[in-house]
Amino acid sequence: NMIFSTMRLLQHCFREFGMVVPKTSSPQCNGLRRGLHCAALRLQEDKDKSIPVPPSSTASPTTTFHEHYQAHPSEHDTATPAQEAAAAEEAPQPNISYVDQSGEQGEDYETEEQLQVRILNAALDFVPLHGWTVEAISAGAETLGLSAASSGMFQNGAGDLVLHFIAQSNTQLTEQLAEHHNQVQLGQAEPKKTADFLRDAVETRLRMLTPYINNWPQALSILFLPHNIPNSLKHLSTLVDDIWYYAGDRSTDLNWYTKRAALTGIYNTTELVMVQDSSEDFQDTWNFLDNRIQDIANMADATKRVTSTGEAVVQGLMGAAVTVRMLERICMFEMHRIKDYNNTLTA
Amino acid sequence: MAASIRLLARRIVRDAFRTINSSVSVRIVSSSCPSNLSACRCFSDGAADKSTHFGFETVSEGEKAERVYKVFESVAQKYDVMNDAMSLGVHRLWKDMLLHVMNPQPGIRLLDVAGGTGDISFRFLNYVRSQQERVARRTARANQTPSWQEISTSYTTPTEGIEMETEARESRAVVCDINKEMLKVGKQKAESMGVSSGLSWVVGDAEELPFDDDQFDVYTIAFGIRNVTHIDLALQEAVRVLKPGGRFMCLEFSKVTNPLLARLYDAYSFQMIPVLGEVIAGDWKSYQYLVESIRKFPDQETFKQMIEDAGLFSVRYHNLTGGVVALHSGFKL
Repeated sequence: NMIFSTMRLLQHCFREFGMVVPKTSSPQCNGLRRGLHCAALRLQEDKDKSIPVPPSSTASPTTTFHEHYQAHPSEHDTATPAQEAAAAEEAPQPNISYVDQSGEQGEDYETEEQLQVRILNAALDFVPLHGWTVEAISAGAETLGLSAASSGMFQNGAGDLVLHFIAQSNTQLTEQLAEHHNQVQLGQAEPKKTADFLRDAVETRLRMLTPYINNWPQALSILFLPHNIPNSLKHLSTLVDDIWYYAGDRSTDLNWYTKRAALTGIYNTTELVMVQDSSEDFQDTWNFLDNRIQDIANMADATKRVTSTGEAVVQGLMGAAVTVRMLERICMFEMHRIKDYNNTLTA
Repeated sequence: MAASIRLLARRIVRDAFRTINSSVSVRIVSSSCPSNLSACRCFSDGAADKSTHFGFETVSEGEKAERVYKVFESVAQKYDVMNDAMSLGVHRLWKDMLLHVMNPQPGIRLLDVAGGTGDISFRFLNYVRSQQERVARRTARANQTPSWQEISTSYTTPTEGIEMETEARESRAVVCDINKEMLKVGKQKAESMGVSSGLSWVVGDAEELPFDDDQFDVYTIAFGIRNVTHIDLALQEAVRVLKPGGRFMCLEFSKVTNPLLARLYDAYSFQMIPVLGEVIAGDWKSYQYLVESIRKFPDQETFKQMIEDAGLFSVRYHNLTGGVVALHSGFKL
């Protein structure tokens, strides 16, 4: 249990700092190894960036970074979602040298990343009108009083907007799950069954898409572009991992993989159903979600039964093999006897 | 005729100022007024004493501006032809790349400094126009299968406000150059291309622009900044005239990274280009100056540092053609 919790904390820690630890027991490893190149490039780029000093007051993002920098990672688990919230808020990961300097800067300075986050947040309002495009980012920048040309800051264009939205939604979900977890621990709320918990978590997360559901296919197509796949996979795997963690999964064997794979499948298919769902309040989608979770639950039971049956079957097969071998030997023995008898008769 | 008289007057005035200033170090800064430009030049302290490079020569700062002016005055007529000949047409790709990275939205105001013959501005107007057409096509396609609701509302309400919005947000480009000859050539090109709306031609010095603060969304300077005597002043002026959030973009010859390519490039530059200049434009010296000034210009990283020092953020550069040309971009945040 100790080993598991240390593993998890290390995982959170490294995810925040955008580094990759080659851990053997991580399915995120492949996505992260692909993302390693991106992370390394980003670190290099961030080192080249200058730290600006434009006077504009945004105290709260800076204080969350103080929290992020000062909170020791080995403290209780509830600190990690807050750290993740601070770290995951920005589409570009904060690099280490930036974090060092932010502690020294005054509270009324805003960094480039914070300004970019503000622009992207403002741009989300224009997504229903312009779609997930650079026009939406330009319109968002204009509401902040900046020129439309500042959308050139986002080299990935619409991809930055989509990834920012996903990171933000994931953070919101994690906060809600952490809140519920706290309440359960304080005894103020009832712990849910695993199936219900998963269902509620996926529904909450998918409901965040409702304002943008008409343009969501465009966002999905952007996420499937080759240069965006590492990032989108990373976000998806983090999301699924967090949901299972708060559902109480502490497995350390093959189940870790199967559970996350199952939930990834459920989440993706439900998202696709939601995109083409025209029923009232997406009721068809939630019914679909219920059925899929039920399938997984049934399969889990069946798997248990199959495992025990399987063992029995294997043993039966081995017994059969032994029997067959013995029968073979008996036959051979009999044949030798008959031959000898014939020989004695003829001889 | 008027141009040559004005040139003569400028030279006399400049000589007069130089003799006065040799003993007294005084900085004359005129307010932003285009008509005063011929009379007032910005002299830094002890202009006669400070020297700078003009190609591989060392000249005084005052002299450099004058000699650069003469260079461009003499090459103006054959400027575009020479560009095509020297770069084998690749300069068009470089300028297209500048526009592609800029990705201008409709309604943006562009200031094209050292714009001369207007290449960047023409491309800008084309780009914005094609974008507007694309948006119009998209809305038309979306309106092709309207529901009964939409049809009934379209009968009752007047024309959609969105179209009027895009018409109101017309993009404008201002071409600014210190050299009247280059602007003249540019104007002739505009007339022959039939481009009239959204384009203005202004005579101005990059170190002292005749515009108010916070005017432009994008400031570009393509293959012009190495001719400016005080690059930092030009950068400061860029920051001044840009709106908050505005973008500074600079296309300029830079250091080639690959050593093999560098050797080929050097050989081509020093052997071929002045010869082409002599054959096509009848001007060996100007093109000798061109290739020498490229070698004197700071490399990508140094220039990036200079841009950051001027107060621009999120500064990046792209190398084009292996470092022959670098596209620097920064934002005023």
